[in-house]
Amino acid sequence: MSDLNQEMAARYKNNFLKEIEEQAEMGEWVKMCMQCGLCSGSCPTNFHSGWDHPPQEIFMLIRAGKREEVLNAQGMYMCTSCYNCYVRCPRKVPVTHVMHGIAEYAYRIGRAPKNQPTMHLSKTFWTNATKHGRVNEVQLTQSLYFKDGIGAGIKKAMEMQKEALGLVKAGRLNPMEALGMGHKCKDVKGIHAMLAKAEELEAKNKAAKA
Amino acid sequence: MAETKTAAYICKGCEIGTRLDTAALVKTATKSGKMNIVREHDFLCSAEGVAMIQNDIDNEGVTHAALCACSRRAKTEAFNFPTIAMSRGNLREGVIWIRPDTDAARETTQEMAEDYVRMACAEVKAMTVPPGNQKTGTVKTLLVVGGGMSGMTSALEASKAGYKVVLVEKSAALGGWAAKLHKRVPTREPFKSPEDNGVADMVARIEADSNIKAYLNATIAKTDGAPGRFKVDIAIESGAIAQEDVGAIIQATGFTLYDANKLPEFAYGKTPNVVDQAGLEALAKAAAAEGKPIRRPSDGQPVKSVVFVQCAGQRDATGKHLQYCSGFCCNTSIKQAMYFKDSNPDIDTVVLFTDLRTPGNGEDFYRAAQNKGVIFSKGVVSQVVPSGNACTVKFKDLILNEDTEAQADLVVLATGVVPNSGVNIDAPVAAPAAAPAEAAEGEVAGEVIATIAPESILNLTYRQGPDMPQFKHGFTDSHFICFPYETRRTGIYTAGPVRRPMDILQAQEDATGAAMKAIQAMENAGLGKAAHPRAGDLSFPTVRLEGCTQCKRCTVECPFGAIDEDEKRFPLFNESRCRRCGTCMGACPVRVISFENYSVNTVGSQIKSVEVPDEFSEKPRILILACENDAYPALDMAGMNRNEYDPFVRVIPIRCLGSVNTIWITDALNGGYDGVMLMGCKHGEEYQCHFVKGSELGRYRLSKVGDTLKGMNLETERVHDLEVAITDIATLPQKINDYAALIKSFPPSPFKGF
Amino acid sequence: MTSVVATNQTILVVGGGISGMTAALEAAETGKQVVLVEKNPYLGGRTVQLYRYFPKMCHPTCGLEINLRRLKANPRIQVLTLAEVTGISGDKGAYSVSVKLKPRYVNSNCTACGECGKAVQTEIADEFNYNLGKIKAAYLPSNMAYPQRYVIDPSIIGTPDAERAKAACKYDAVNLDDREETISLNAGAIVWATGWQPYAAEKIVYYGYDRFPNVITNVEFERLADPHGPTGGKILRPSDGKEAKNVAFIQCAGSRDENHLRHCSRFCCMGSLKQTHYVQEAYGDEGKSTIYYIDIRAIDRFEDFYQKVKANPNVTFVKSKVARITEDKAGNPVCNGVNTEGYIRYANAHDLVVLAVGMEPSVKGVQIPAEVMSDSSGFIMADPANAGIFGAGCATNALDVNRAVQSATAAALRAIQVVNKVARAEA
Ligand SMILES: Cc1cc2nc3c(=O)[nH]c(=O)nc-3n(C[C@H](O)[C@H](O)[C@H](O)COP(=O)(O)OP(=O)(O)OC[C@H]3O[C@@H](n4cnc5c(N)ncnc54)[C@H](O)[C@@H]3O)c2cc1C
Ligand code: SF4
Ligand code: SF4
Ligand code: SF4
Ligand code: SF4
Ligand code: SF4
Repeated sequence: MSDLNQEMAARYKNNFLKEIEEQAEMGEWVKMCMQCGLCSGSCPTNFHSGWDHPPQEIFMLIRAGKREEVLNAQGMYMCTSCYNCYVRCPRKVPVTHVMHGIAEYAYRIGRAPKNQPTMHLSKTFWTNATKHGRVNEVQLTQSLYFKDGIGAGIKKAMEMQKEALGLVKAGRLNPMEALGMGHKCKDVKGIHAMLAKAEELEAKNKAAKA
Repeated sequence: MAETKTAAYICKGCEIGTRLDTAALVKTATKSGKMNIVREHDFLCSAEGVAMIQNDIDNEGVTHAALCACSRRAKTEAFNFPTIAMSRGNLREGVIWIRPDTDAARETTQEMAEDYVRMACAEVKAMTVPPGNQKTGTVKTLLVVGGGMSGMTSALEASKAGYKVVLVEKSAALGGWAAKLHKRVPTREPFKSPEDNGVADMVARIEADSNIKAYLNATIAKTDGAPGRFKVDIAIESGAIAQEDVGAIIQATGFTLYDANKLPEFAYGKTPNVVDQAGLEALAKAAAAEGKPIRRPSDGQPVKSVVFVQCAGQRDATGKHLQYCSGFCCNTSIKQAMYFKDSNPDIDTVVLFTDLRTPGNGEDFYRAAQNKGVIFSKGVVSQVVPSGNACTVKFKDLILNEDTEAQADLVVLATGVVPNSGVNIDAPVAAPAAAPAEAAEGEVAGEVIATIAPESILNLTYRQGPDMPQFKHGFTDSHFICFPYETRRTGIYTAGPVRRPMDILQAQEDATGAAMKAIQAMENAGLGKAAHPRAGDLSFPTVRLEGCTQCKRCTVECPFGAIDEDEKRFPLFNESRCRRCGTCMGACPVRVISFENYSVNTVGSQIKSVEVPDEFSEKPRILILACENDAYPALDMAGMNRNEYDPFVRVIPIRCLGSVNTIWITDALNGGYDGVMLMGCKHGEEYQCHFVKGSELGRYRLSKVGDTLKGMNLETERVHDLEVAITDIATLPQKINDYAALIKSFPPSPFKGF
Repeated sequence: MTSVVATNQTILVVGGGISGMTAALEAAETGKQVVLVEKNPYLGGRTVQLYRYFPKMCHPTCGLEINLRRLKANPRIQVLTLAEVTGISGDKGAYSVSVKLKPRYVNSNCTACGECGKAVQTEIADEFNYNLGKIKAAYLPSNMAYPQRYVIDPSIIGTPDAERAKAACKYDAVNLDDREETISLNAGAIVWATGWQPYAAEKIVYYGYDRFPNVITNVEFERLADPHGPTGGKILRPSDGKEAKNVAFIQCAGSRDENHLRHCSRFCCMGSLKQTHYVQEAYGDEGKSTIYYIDIRAIDRFEDFYQKVKANPNVTFVKSKVARITEDKAGNPVCNGVNTEGYIRYANAHDLVVLAVGMEPSVKGVQIPAEVMSDSSGFIMADPANAGIFGAGCATNALDVNRAVQSATAAALRAIQVVNKVARAEA
């Protein structure tokens, strides 16, 4: 069977739905969506560039067995974790988590696009936070701004200057963080130990599921 | 019976006394009303006022009383004198509340009041207290036709209330469709999985019930009589006829599934792997009996994928199939998808729908199915293409907005229901000549309403036809929102999907309600009391056969089929079928039909009692005949809101527009009235008339009055028919005034003074 | 002291809406003794507050008139208004019930002449019109109110206004010494027909019902369309009285939602389809309606009605649950969301948004006897085989009027079964 035919035969079959249920965190919720569209409409990002499929549509694509279209989609990386959809969904689908679950799965199997901005943010955020035991906001911002090169970074930083100064004045941003100083976490070691344990448990869980 | 003694009471309360010259009203009642006793009272509805009237009844022998006070709709608890004939002169809502309290208006207001006093006196004198009907039967056994879930429920519920039941089922077993179901949609929380169909338990209870006598393999050969005294011939298996006496009937004959062969695009009949929902129940039942998974008909292999096509023939706007929604098929597909998922979660089940209709707790069931992995999508199926042992379902996925397809081992068509309601007695006799050849019997106006040969179910001997009148799409429903059981055949109720598409749960509720109505009909027939909407009315139509010309108007028009013909072709009234609408009375050209409390004379004498001023007075008279159910209350409420209207109208409440005898109109016009306004309820498909057809028949009759007017050399606008709803509280006075203005623009009636 | 004649063969009906009235009438017209208890000062329940019924577009008062006439003609029904059942003891066939009667301050002498209403100055919120207007503190609840008797609001008792009312009445009908009382009565069977209440729309935070004046509920919209309602039947939006010619209907507002009501309320799709007619009736072709829906549940022959509305070019259907409402500078509510048929985002400004709020049982949270089971949504699910207390109408499920009446007729028979058994035993 050709790829196309195979894809046709898999339409509206459970194969891909099952794959998502087994592999993606919270994937078992995909089947519960009733296609009301509330999640898509609730999203404050207004689906700017890059949002090819909103959550409700991704869920339908999964159920329609459209594996390629879903794994190639950008939508699941665009979620900003505002949880609007999560709290409103009439089916109590934890939409935010499902989106992340699908994104994480696509990344895990090597289908996530390179330099996808949200993906980059998550990774940077994670590295940053786990390293210090808390987020070093200035370093985080810097690494985000400079992700597309020095020029772009400076431009972005200039644009945001006013906001940054405001935050500094309000005591919400400590410029010393740029040097790795400023607010500190009390027990970085403890946190590292905790994270190691969590990783171990997670791995076990995944092994059990598969 | 005691000698007639008449009394009139004039109330002075509620400002009647200050707005009107009540002394003059007393005089009117005495002189023109010719009442034996006339009394005024400051506050007639007070305990003291009521005691005064009661005293006159008890000690003065009053048999007829005209209460000239407020509307007949007000103070009914106080003025409750069931032993006498009583009329109400409406001086409050009908006079002082609709007239301004000005010097200029005083004279005409007083004239209005005096006329209403005259009318009340005239009316009550033409009435007698109904003695009740002696001829009605007192059989209290219920006949239930159809032994499905609905029929069995009616039988069991009636028995539980202490009544005997005869249950007639056409097939060899009880249970109807429900017995063919592998399982049923759950009826109790948590609404997660199909339940046992419950039939075996019901059948066992019927068999154990000594009140219930069941006939299987039996149909109704003949139904004769009326509530309280039906005689039924039951054709039983042996070919013999069993006879039963019953008091009321419930028809619970269910439905037939729409013929899926009419949907060639879905490949039904082209491959055994396309089935309807009933077909799937059969597969599931057979599989369960063998303890095996559901198998594909073509090769006996276990089904691995199923697609359900919702609305297969229902909700069809093209006029080719069924227009309506069958109500239960969405839930049924959900249930059937669970047959697969519950046995093997790996079976692919897809439900394609345009609107998924799972109201109420069905939403829980829908969620449970999703949780079990059933895939739902909004899509329109265009075609099912069989190939080998599989099928391809071509459809448009409306969410993903693309034409697509799905492969399946089995395709289930959720076809709809066609009611088993018997012969359509209102259908035009001949089929329209232009109908295409294949538009076979049962097709009316481009819509398929029946695919089954219409064979009578009840075989009523009624003059108007052998079965229950149908409402729409062949269902024997009523179109009353508030009175769902009101059919056009007294004492015969339909229950379950023969009345309206419904699932078992609703059908059982419906069947219990129908049993309630049937029991009530039997009880009241025995007492000679009318059924809804004039419940409890003890009057009944009497006919002076000496005058009858055998024109058959009454037998044809009675909306409730109450009148048959005897051997000599005279009308034969079956009182307990009658609802006391008066349509027969209105129809009768020689006016030989009347009721004790309502007759050509009770209204006619009121019309005649009104004083018609001469042509120079510039005081026209306009007669209003207002339906007591809607128009009269609307006028009352106009009064309550002090919405004024013209002082030259005189309003008489009538039971129904259908009861209007044209003699009233010609009498009024001959008597010098300048115009006649008729107020009745909406008729036609969205009828509002409480006697279903009454206002329609009345209007048809009145449409002929134009010729009479022309014959009298009068403007045809002098008779005006107005459709009124009970809420026309503000608009009705305006319409009256507009009409009065029109009449005033005509010269005075040339008949004044004759 | 109010006296009520009741025995173990009496049927008690709780709730005097269309279901309760139906159950009472059907039983009484079969010869049974009935006591009908209603919390409001009048009978009729919520249907009286509707302008028209789907699918016939007829008026609820039409049926009410017939039912009231049946009631007036039937000596077997005793009606208690301003009354609430406070306790039930005993067992089926022999219940003992206590009923609390609130004072009406107006006795049966009242002729409904309206003088007290003219005399009183205080105004109170008009509950009948969902507080969309104000009425005098001595009032007749509606044109069709039965008993046809005025009511004096307790808030003016002890004030000069109450004295004014008393002085105005020529018939000694105002009784300011009226006191709350509790009576007890017997009953063999009980029909519980306490009906429904609209879901509290403010709980659906993202629709801003309590923030935006031009977001109203479907029950309120009925009052706006009614010529006897607070706007005289003009569809005017609350914020500025502007004619609302572009109206949005949001389906499943609260229903089919695990954060609110789990069930589908069954009537609200038809309700909104009906209300598009109101817009049309008021403004002709200038009246535009948009229905935002998940599924249109116009079941059985109601489908005809849906097809008719669908064919109306002034009505638009959008398959979408509106995600949030905002307000633009002109004070127009804006519906934001995604049309799921093909993923089309929208932000549509309307003059008025009507939330098709769902039905909640009004028994919810109310203490009813243990024998009466209710499901997790609060609807009664009495056991018809063994109970002596039966649910009827919307107390048992989200139902439209037709189905509620059907259910009430069935409940009447269930109650009769119990009292007939008592009668057989006593005979
Ligand atoms: C495939 C399928 C699946 C369904 N699944 C469900 C479900 O899971 N849950 C649910 O709630 N509903 C379901 N329904 C609907 C349900 O079957 C009906 O609502 C219910 O069975 C109707 O019962 P009834 O007694 O009114 O009608 P029927 O079952 O049609 O019974 C009518 C009876 O009357 C008899 N009869 C007909 N004409 C005559 C005559 N002239 N004289 C004497 N007897 C006569 C018939 O033989 C039959 O026994 C389903 C329906 C179908 C077709
Ligand atoms: S809000 Fe929930 S049910 Fe609605 S489309 Fe989104 S995930 Fe589906
Ligand atoms: S209510 Fe009627 S009877 Fe009583 S005082 Fe008023 S008009 Fe007279
Ligand atoms: S119940 Fe569902 S499948 Fe059946 S006719 Fe209605 S919408 Fe179509
Ligand atoms: S009164 Fe009405 S129901 Fe009775 S016989 Fe005459 S037409 Fe028929
Ligand atoms: S009837 Fe319609 S609006 Fe109401 S809850 Fe059900 S689907 Fe939603």
